[in-house]
Amino acid sequence: MRFQEYEAKEIFKEFGIPVPEGIVINSDSEIIPAIEKIGIPAILKAQVLVGGRGKAGGIRVVENLEEAVEACREIFNKKIKGYHVKELLIEKKLEILTELYCGITINRTLGRPVIMVSSEGGINIEETAEKNPNKIFTLYCDPLVDIYPFQIVNLVKNLGLKGDVLLKVSQIIGKLLQIFNKYNGIIVEVNPLVITNNKQVLCLDAVIQIDDSALFRYPEFQEKKFNQMDYSLQRLEKKGATYVQLEGNIGLICSGAGLAMATMDTIKSFPGLSPANFLETGGSITPELMEDCMEIVLERNVLKGIFINIYGGINPIHEGAKGIARVIKDRELEIPIVAKALGNKQEETWEILEKAGVYTYKKSDTHGAINYLAEILHLEVKG
Amino acid sequence: MSILLNKDTKVLVQGITGNIGKTQTEYMIKSGTKVVAGVTPGKGGEKVFGVPVFDTVLEATNNYEIDFSVLFVPARVAKDSVIEAIESGINKIALITEHTPVHDTMVMKAYAKKHNALLIGPTTPGIVVPGECKIGILPINMFCPGNVGIISRSGTLAYEVAANLCLVGIGQSTVIGMGADMVAGTNLVEILELFNLDNETKVVVLIGEVGGSQEEDAAAFIKNKMDKPVIAYIAGASVPSGQRMGHAGAIVEGGKGSAKSKIDTLNNAGVKVAMMLNEIPLLVKELLS
Repeated sequence: MRFQEYEAKEIFKEFGIPVPEGIVINSDSEIIPAIEKIGIPAILKAQVLVGGRGKAGGIRVVENLEEAVEACREIFNKKIKGYHVKELLIEKKLEILTELYCGITINRTLGRPVIMVSSEGGINIEETAEKNPNKIFTLYCDPLVDIYPFQIVNLVKNLGLKGDVLLKVSQIIGKLLQIFNKYNGIIVEVNPLVITNNKQVLCLDAVIQIDDSALFRYPEFQEKKFNQMDYSLQRLEKKGATYVQLEGNIGLICSGAGLAMATMDTIKSFPGLSPANFLETGGSITPELMEDCMEIVLERNVLKGIFINIYGGINPIHEGAKGIARVIKDRELEIPIVAKALGNKQEETWEILEKAGVYTYKKSDTHGAINYLAEILHLEVKG
Repeated sequence: MSILLNKDTKVLVQGITGNIGKTQTEYMIKSGTKVVAGVTPGKGGEKVFGVPVFDTVLEATNNYEIDFSVLFVPARVAKDSVIEAIESGINKIALITEHTPVHDTMVMKAYAKKHNALLIGPTTPGIVVPGECKIGILPINMFCPGNVGIISRSGTLAYEVAANLCLVGIGQSTVIGMGADMVAGTNLVEILELFNLDNETKVVVLIGEVGGSQEEDAAAFIKNKMDKPVIAYIAGASVPSGQRMGHAGAIVEGGKGSAKSKIDTLNNAGVKVAMMLNEIPLLVKELLS
């Protein structure tokens, strides 16, 4: 789960991490009182959950009220990397001396948290990491042992900081690590972490992403996440499935993310076919989950066909088949559906599906199954 | 021979009285696995398909010799259950559970390493030695005995690849799924090492997917240390990359993680990479003949 910048900054404030004073507005009618309160010059920042919003025109510095009104209207009317801007964060522009970078994330291979700092903060940090990796300093954490403050001071000393600023930056990083640990963080990042003319240290940006699998520990966040989703997606998510809408013409239901990706790759290799979605059922298939899967796939009304690719390992696919059959019957579906359903209870599954009018493909090769679908759709087939 | 598991391996099932635990215990016993005991706190004294159930792992290890523990426990107790197994002296563990918090996985991984235990998973489908036995959830009708080792980050893709090999008469020595969570208890390289030492395995099929850098690490291992041919497949070449937020992930991965990076690195290490699933049986057949 990702947090908007202003939400992340609220969490920072709870932990005593300094951030600039800011106001969030939802419409351009609120801009004038906001600017009057914050003062000029100010920064307007679009609240969208994508990186690179500055380069996409989502961040503007304004020097007077007229400029603020104009910029505010422009940002609200803009789409940033496909996202509408619904909220705008207004902050006072500060006099900045130095921009640092601090990020905490997980090294997947080692399975350890890693704290990264650099004196080259700002929008080009990824280039710095690539071209001058020696300008990024890292501290790997042992998941079984706490990190002590002195280790962070040692890390931060690499940036050439001294005195009060050295300690302030170290303390902030210590608190960012607390946030990372307390909320099961995937990423906690500040870019830039700035030092101002009067030696203040503040977080100008704030990124927090936490582990969806740990959301049961934070019911307030879980509820918030569900509220942001539309109803059908919410139902799937609660049952452990994952859905992503795509642009193609073949609806897809697969058990397992790897199989789903391989199936998408295969579908794309057929002329005229492309996946309309990614849908991974997870390992808790029930008739109800399969009904939900069918319903969300059918929300796209451009489909030529549906391909179901599921294995009965942990999943009772014969139970899932009942849900598929129910949706076909209730909605009197006529769209061609090919199912490749193998593993435990496969014969029982085939029987239920065939009775419902589903074309079953009984061999294990996904390529052959998609070929079968192409044949049914009278499309060019591949050998 | 096979890796990690055979018909004499004595298996404990943690979470044996739950719906999934019960069903899968039955499947495991039917496939030839020696399930000697089960654990569910509060259910001590019960039996599941004749298998005695204990409240704690320690009681089980006090009463039975146990080589391997397989876990069907809820995600919120996965960490506790894995550490309980390690503390009770079990040094091979397969965690089937999905949606385990990654911070818990990091603790389990570090704990296992400290105690020289092997943790496969979370989200592993387990291990199957076709024709002999299995631990976990793999449906055995998808596999047949032979000389190909399969190691896969995805569970269901491992079933598919094995079944496709069986269609052309090629069997498997051992098939193992690693789980494709953000952090895995055991990485691909550690299992490649075992296949490299296994006399019965002539060819290894490595099934990776986008994300992380395990396949790139595997490529380096194959190039420098592996004596047997490896065929690879990477799922997700056509998957649009997600909207990334923040820079930390990109900095850590340093350009690795994409299908292209993995395929190029494996090719450079001399590994034949199948671009499509259905090419795998052909490539394996060539190597075996």
